[in-house]
Amino acid sequence: MELWSQLLGGLAAAATPINLLWAFVGCAVGTAIGVLPGLGPAVTVAMLLPITAKVEPTASMIFFCGIYYGAMYGGSTTSILLNTPGETGTMVTALEGFKMAKNGRAGAALATSAIGSFVAGTIATVLVTLFSPVMAEFAVKLGPPEYFCLMLLAFTTVSAVLGKSTLRGLTSLFVGIALGLVGIDQITGQVRYTGGVLEFMDGIEVVLVAVGLFAVAECLYNALYEGRAESSLNRMGKVHMTRGEWRRSWPAWLRGSVIGFPFGTIPAGGSEIPTFLSYAAERKLSKHPEEFGTTGAIEGVAGPEAANNSAVTATLVPLLTLGIPTSVTAAILLSAFQNYGLNPGPQLFESNAALVWTLIASLYIGNVMLLVLNLPMVGLWVKLLKIPKAPLYAGILIFATVGVYGMRQSAFDLYLMLGLGLVGVLMRRFDFPTAPVIVGLILGPLAEAQMRNALSIGQGSWMVFLERPMSATLLVIVAAVLLVPRMIAWRRRA
Amino acid sequence: MSAHVPSRNAQALIGAGALALAALLAYGASGISTEAGYAGVGPSFLPWVISAALGGCGAWLLYEALSGGFREMDAPSGAARGDWRALAWVAGGIVVNALLIERAGFVVACALCYTLAVHGLRSAEGRPWGGPRKVLLDAVTGMLIATPVYWLFTKVLQVNLPGLTGTGWI
Repeated sequence: MELWSQLLGGLAAAATPINLLWAFVGCAVGTAIGVLPGLGPAVTVAMLLPITAKVEPTASMIFFCGIYYGAMYGGSTTSILLNTPGETGTMVTALEGFKMAKNGRAGAALATSAIGSFVAGTIATVLVTLFSPVMAEFAVKLGPPEYFCLMLLAFTTVSAVLGKSTLRGLTSLFVGIALGLVGIDQITGQVRYTGGVLEFMDGIEVVLVAVGLFAVAECLYNALYEGRAESSLNRMGKVHMTRGEWRRSWPAWLRGSVIGFPFGTIPAGGSEIPTFLSYAAERKLSKHPEEFGTTGAIEGVAGPEAANNSAVTATLVPLLTLGIPTSVTAAILLSAFQNYGLNPGPQLFESNAALVWTLIASLYIGNVMLLVLNLPMVGLWVKLLKIPKAPLYAGILIFATVGVYGMRQSAFDLYLMLGLGLVGVLMRRFDFPTAPVIVGLILGPLAEAQMRNALSIGQGSWMVFLERPMSATLLVIVAAVLLVPRMIAWRRRA
Repeated sequence: MSAHVPSRNAQALIGAGALALAALLAYGASGISTEAGYAGVGPSFLPWVISAALGGCGAWLLYEALSGGFREMDAPSGAARGDWRALAWVAGGIVVNALLIERAGFVVACALCYTLAVHGLRSAEGRPWGGPRKVLLDAVTGMLIATPVYWLFTKVLQVNLPGLTGTGWI
């Protein structure tokens, strides 16, 4: 009952006109950047981080979450019509959705993805409502050794599971952690890696790295390599599903929601795995397997879309209750909390209960808004795809400047941004994943603090990580994540 | 597809770059105090660990590059050869922006950055220069994007961005 009254309180706070406005603007901005190539939710939230200096925390978190979800809705529109998935999570949607669109069924594909996202988003929000308090109660019992091992697990999965090469993933991760080392050490106040440059004393801002590696790199990469790449836009039909398509869609939505949620809650690296799992499941279970990969099967859009949204919503559970981000956008949301001096974790549910519940309540509202924004108004968003590439990418640079310069008013940061943009071009050319850099940068300093606190508890003995059952179990899982795929590959070769 | 994968020499350079970064980290770590306190590890511990780990990755990358190329590598999207001139225009735009933002203000610096970048991106598409009229049109477009952005962020969202004048409007 207590849960119910807290949620109602949250709904009341989220439904004030000003908060509704923030949610609406967030959803609209999110959908727009989801539709547009070149910008993802992570970099958009990063660019907008300077607003945390003046806007109050509840409003800005509602805004940022709206962007995060909106981008998922918008991303599927682009995948279906343009076959260029903006987010890894919508890659699978592009498989079947683009085929459906080619065969004149774009309307049905758009409808099933928008309604499926709504269904999955709502189911997942209910699960977040139910599970977060339980999880927070459990998380209070965790000490620094357990937190350190959890972060280690997050590092491993983000760098080793995602992407093809564990080696290149780990390289990116270590570069990210190294960037996080720059500045003043939290525990002793020791200055590290500043090279005497005053600007480095405060450390390297997340905004700078995210904007450089994603937005600026994208713009530079386009100028350098993709000037002559052509893309064709599919024609959009009426956004409408027949009775038969409804009947085929809804079991897929439900299955997708169930498959997606657990993957968002564990540090298993985002929504790539659950969307592929859901796709595989739908392909197996479908009564129309001949449509997969040929004319496009509606289940192949409905299931993965639901799984994607469910996983994305579920990332809030570890973020709010443990302070551990399981996706790049979640990592940037974490740094938004940090800008307010708030530390997500079990204490947040005690100390800032109103904020947490308003945020959760706003997700219910945001999902409804997104359904309205994406079903009747989808034609409006599709017009965004007609903006030519050159002014679009050049315009992105203006927003990049706002984010990077606005953070701490330093022109030096703009040069750094360009440097990181060039690094990003190299990383993309040589197939290095960028997500581990961001996760390493944000989680690195936290992990270091937890490690040193844990060792203080153990009076300098490393056994502290093995003596406690929870942390020992987590270490075994970390080892398994790193070694098991390798062993399977070895046995297959032998 | 494999035609687009960067050459093995370039891959070896990336591996060497990672090694160099590791060496830099080690050099920096040697200057950090090791005062450890109760934990037994001090502020220099993680820098050494990361330096060693990155060194290991660099060596392995170098080994992969020299023994057949990076493993399981996807061919990157886009052309096989880069359009360096276009890149220089865009990068130049960002540099101009950084040089001018504190002197000429956000709107002017960004409009110039936009003009240079859009020129570079368009030349990458193989389209002609378009003459001074087009450049002027781009500059005006840049202004038309940057000005509302400036007002939105400084007036509504209270983010500090420099202006050309003290009026707060431009």
